[in-house]
Amino acid sequence: MRELNIQPLLEALLDGDQTQAVAEARKLCGDGAGHEWIVTEGIEAVMTQLDAKCTVEQFNLLEIMLVGRAVMKVMKDLYPTDVSSPHTKGTIVIGVLEGDIHDLGKNILKMILTAKGYRVVDCGKDCPVKKLIDTAEQEAAMAIGVSGLITTVIPQVRQVKDILAKRRLGCIKVMAGGAALKQASVESLNVDFVAETAFDGVRYLDQITGGKK
Amino acid sequence: MNSIDRIKSTVNFKASDRVPVIAQVFGHAAILADVALSDYVRNGELLALCQIKALEHYGYDTVFALMDVNVETEAVGSVLTYRTNNYPVVKSYALSRGTELDRLSVPDPYKAGRMPELLKAITILRSEIGDDVLVVGCVLGPMTLATQLLGIEKALYLAIDDPESFTRLLDFSEEVVIRFGKVQIEAGAHLPIVFDPSASPAVIPYQFFREFELSRLKNVFTSFRQAGAMANWLHIAGPTDSILGLYSKAGVDIANFDFCVDPLDAQRALPQTCLDGNIKPLSFVDAASEEIAAESSRLLNLFADRRGFILSSGCEIPPESKPENVAAMVSSVRHGR
Repeated sequence: MRELNIQPLLEALLDGDQTQAVAEARKLCGDGAGHEWIVTEGIEAVMTQLDAKCTVEQFNLLEIMLVGRAVMKVMKDLYPTDVSSPHTKGTIVIGVLEGDIHDLGKNILKMILTAKGYRVVDCGKDCPVKKLIDTAEQEAAMAIGVSGLITTVIPQVRQVKDILAKRRLGCIKVMAGGAALKQASVESLNVDFVAETAFDGVRYLDQITGGKK
Repeated sequence: MNSIDRIKSTVNFKASDRVPVIAQVFGHAAILADVALSDYVRNGELLALCQIKALEHYGYDTVFALMDVNVETEAVGSVLTYRTNNYPVVKSYALSRGTELDRLSVPDPYKAGRMPELLKAITILRSEIGDDVLVVGCVLGPMTLATQLLGIEKALYLAIDDPESFTRLLDFSEEVVIRFGKVQIEAGAHLPIVFDPSASPAVIPYQFFREFELSRLKNVFTSFRQAGAMANWLHIAGPTDSILGLYSKAGVDIANFDFCVDPLDAQRALPQTCLDGNIKPLSFVDAASEEIAAESSRLLNLFADRRGFILSSGCEIPPESKPENVAAMVSSVRHGR
């Protein structure tokens, strides 16, 4: 096996150059690298670098989208049948609640969670609370992530934990984020965590899982 | 001093009888009047009536002929879904690909979509209110309209993958915005606010804003000034700290700053530009009126020696806000600091 150099892949991913990133990942495979090693040393490492770069003050969605798209392209190339790697830290059900159709933030969270080793089940936008909770139960999720850009979804967010408790699913954590929801506190939203950014949300989940697969 | 004189003095950093207060009351005016939002955003006469009622109720310095962020994209060809108690949303965008721009044309504001209803609202508001209170129309910024014509994800990827097509999309959007805004001024608006959330640093990097959007905003504001706008007002939500310093290059006279921006940083970034802000929008829904009064008082103190300041929320006052909270902000300017 030739000596493996992860740096070109990291640079291509951070540049958001999806074509180059796939080429570098294939080159690594050709040099004998395992898929899991590429995910751990390449994709997860680049997400950690991006996390450090994207402080709340410097956070912009375009940059994350470009890296996220390149990451997803490499993941798809490594695992053609399922964009998630075979070993996951846990399942997260995400959605934008009924009445809100702004799903960019949710889509970015999905990319980051996937790249960080979580299995993501996406309930889409304009999603009723019941569907979100049913899905979390069926998929044995460890957490639910709700994203909201408009304040009118807040009453629905407040219901999620109570309904989970009634259905004896109180072990499922509830995380909120997005422009409207992050103005509110954990207490007022009746959730376990309010994320300032998608990375902030992943850090919270990593704390719960201990960051281990 | 009436509201217009007060705002003019404030924009020019001259003395006025009190700090102007602008509650960004859009759909909240419908809720206050017990009117369905779906009717409010489609009927110019009703919108004007609700705005006048809200003005009478609160006694602030501005009324808004503003429906939602989908007026322009609908006029160009997007299809919307209307919802009773929410703003409409785009069901299908005018463009499915960024390369299809040639089949679109700049809409005629007197005929296309809800644009004529918005013009009707402006005309009624100006004829009812005259020059006592500021009558504000609304256009999107070119960047935001571009994202509303194609969908934000596709538009942002287009900017990177095919910058030439994206530039043409922005040029088209700029043309739509300028035409619509100028007609609003003709219809009686003292100025159209330029609402540009997709240009926020939360969405695009500083360099992107500077290279793609700044010159277009300058073109928009130059056109509005030539058409007779009383002042140029830019509203970009989110953490705008990094781009505020560029606003003066675009010809901005009034700069909105959101709740997440430190007021002192905003003052430093724009020492000679009137600022409006920045009470947290959600607090109008979930805080007590005493908290709104305290926050208003804090802001009035921070800007006490500056003059160029309008007390406002950081972004739209949510439709479901408590009326007593809006009233608390308005009454704070009358009591002074």
